[in-house]
Amino acid sequence: MEHTSTLEKILRGTAITLVILFFMFPIFWIFLMSFQTNETILRVPPSIVFEPTLSNYTALITGKLDTAAGTLEISFMKNLWNSLFLSTASVAVGLVLGVPAAYAFARLKFRGSEDIAFTLLSFRFAPPLLVLLPLTIYFQQIGLADTYIGLIWVYQLIVLPLILWIVRGYFEDIPADVEYAYRIAGHSWGATFRKIALPLAGPGIAAAGLLAFIFAWNNFIFALVLASADKQPVTVGALAFVTASGIQYGQVAAGIVLSILPTFALALYAQRYLVEGLSLGAVKG
Amino acid sequence: MHEKEKQLVDGFVRGSVSRRDLIRGLGALGVTAATASVLVNAAATKALAQNGFDWKKHAGTTIKLLLNKHPYTDAMLANLENFKELTGMDVQYDVFPEDVYFDKVTAALSSGSTEYDAFMSGAYMTWTYGPAGWIEDLNQWIKDDSKTNPDYNWGDMLPGVVKSCAWNGKPGGALGSDDAKQWCIPLAYEQNNLTYNKRVFDSAGIAVPTNIDELLEAAAKGKAAMSGGYGVGVRGSRSWATIHPGFLSGYANFGQKDLNVSDDGMLSAAMNTDVSKEYHAKWVKMIQDSGAPDWSTHTWYQVGTDLGAGKSAMMFDADILGYFMNGGDNAEAGNLAFSAFAANPDAKAATPNIWIWAMAMSTFSGKKDATWYFLQWVTGPEHDLFGAREMDLVNPARSSVWADEMFRNKLSASYPGYVEMHDASAPGASIKFTPQPLFFDLTTEWAAMLQKMVAKEVPVDEGLDQLAASVNRQLKDAGLG
Repeated sequence: MEHTSTLEKILRGTAITLVILFFMFPIFWIFLMSFQTNETILRVPPSIVFEPTLSNYTALITGKLDTAAGTLEISFMKNLWNSLFLSTASVAVGLVLGVPAAYAFARLKFRGSEDIAFTLLSFRFAPPLLVLLPLTIYFQQIGLADTYIGLIWVYQLIVLPLILWIVRGYFEDIPADVEYAYRIAGHSWGATFRKIALPLAGPGIAAAGLLAFIFAWNNFIFALVLASADKQPVTVGALAFVTASGIQYGQVAAGIVLSILPTFALALYAQRYLVEGLSLGAVKG
Repeated sequence: MHEKEKQLVDGFVRGSVSRRDLIRGLGALGVTAATASVLVNAAATKALAQNGFDWKKHAGTTIKLLLNKHPYTDAMLANLENFKELTGMDVQYDVFPEDVYFDKVTAALSSGSTEYDAFMSGAYMTWTYGPAGWIEDLNQWIKDDSKTNPDYNWGDMLPGVVKSCAWNGKPGGALGSDDAKQWCIPLAYEQNNLTYNKRVFDSAGIAVPTNIDELLEAAAKGKAAMSGGYGVGVRGSRSWATIHPGFLSGYANFGQKDLNVSDDGMLSAAMNTDVSKEYHAKWVKMIQDSGAPDWSTHTWYQVGTDLGAGKSAMMFDADILGYFMNGGDNAEAGNLAFSAFAANPDAKAATPNIWIWAMAMSTFSGKKDATWYFLQWVTGPEHDLFGAREMDLVNPARSSVWADEMFRNKLSASYPGYVEMHDASAPGASIKFTPQPLFFDLTTEWAAMLQKMVAKEVPVDEGLDQLAASVNRQLKDAGLG
């Protein structure tokens, strides 16, 4: 049995504490900032003692922001909703298209299958702006410019390759014999996919979906170029607090707290699937 | 509008009710101050509608604007209903944060998008948009009496500002030359001068500097008085925006230029002269001795925020940045004061380089005449006066607005020295850069070299020679030098 000395335990504990402090301190500080006014945030020297205020959250939720230059209209909650809608819908479409495709690439060896899979992955290589300018022109011609459908379509550039390649690895890890046994019992390809492959690949699909959601949530440039102000996600909307008349640090912090909540909650809920799915899908025996 | 409110506003238009009585009267009727201001301006709009111009020609047309999130935009949107009523047109708009605004503009224009008819632009940006064929020369409307209302008063625009928006498209061509195209029309502009913390200056007995040597001295004293803060705020990030405010304003005051233009129109670097080297050396020393410790990361935001928070004693940057920092919940709100700054002791007055927020028209617009109706209204004397009096449309680009007593009194009451600063430096205020297509690249390289000098990676003399050689090489490669 492995023995751990007291000194080793202390050193390990200290190291873990330091690492946690290092990574968590900025988030903790942002959380504190979200309950302060600009005046207390910017005081010299900074202090952890302050009179908390909910004014930043109130401004975000009510859409009215008081600045040195007067009251500004802000649409942060609309941005938050746009992010939620675009990310959820994109991942849903990505899963519907990507999971069967991943299964096909994993199980059916056909001519050009690797080339097609690689082509899909290559969508991730191109600099977004290079793709977006021609896309803007095409979208205008076919009436998809400045529409949610157009954006969800373009978001597939982010989510589809991710889902396809993660889930494919996971399908490949499931012993094919299990599926053959089910098919010998007289079931179709479709039934085998639904009843055997999908349930077994569940954690992998959940992990891929989560990762795709996070990537979609963090996207910035697609909606900025392709859509109007009313369809912008939170990543663009958060910049509205950086104005010529000053940076509203409190509102920026409150915006960060609100905007990480959905992904944070999802990640907490599905943490087990995330780690399990990623590790099982990635490591092949 | 209810009858009593209508009577008050009509009385104001006739001159039988004073402005103060009008606002007070509307307040008594439960109308908020902001709404009252818009109502008051409705009266001015009504007067505009009676100038014989066919304002309703494009009634029913909808145009769409691309706007930057800015107090100038707030002024525009606050008064927009009056334009709609005046013309019967509808105006839609998208407002984007400044950080991403020009990405959005560039994407829209370079893709030939027909979505936006007009948009806000900086004058420097039109040096790219104009020659690319993305924006219209507005002279064709300004000079057409059938399309421009008789009260537009083009001659009322401040000459240095309006000329800075006009360029003939030839690299090195003088701004505002006779053959220049009017790529944009100013909404308002910023001069670069001194904003200082009067509380700190008074308590430490620091005199307001009047030249570069005094600036270094005052910055050092300011640093000593700030206990933990620093003396002078100037921008330092690796960006063209580091060069254009205080730095270039002081530089130009010594008669120095960024580029030389030869008789045959070829360009060459002009920043390694002896006078330039001396100015650079003083600037670098000022930052090393009394600037922000993290100067190389400082942009508009840090320079302004630090002054407002009491971390710096003064800044040499945009006057409107000081204007904003003197209000709101800034710790030093009410303590800031303003002064025109001529870096050269032999100069008669300050010669600030300026930033202009202007309106430009997209070439891809399908409703250009209707769009012009909006542009002439939003840059016209009536809206300019409304924005300056009631909102934060500072600095207005029209001399008639600067002559308005109400506006001047509003500034003088809360912004000590602002009006005097403006009056002293406005005659010399213009864009001091040479317009040419490599503007952003070359100016960013200049900022990078400044960073190296401040970090003592290269001596000032040697750094400027290296910069000039690099600039000349790039101009030659581009066929400009």
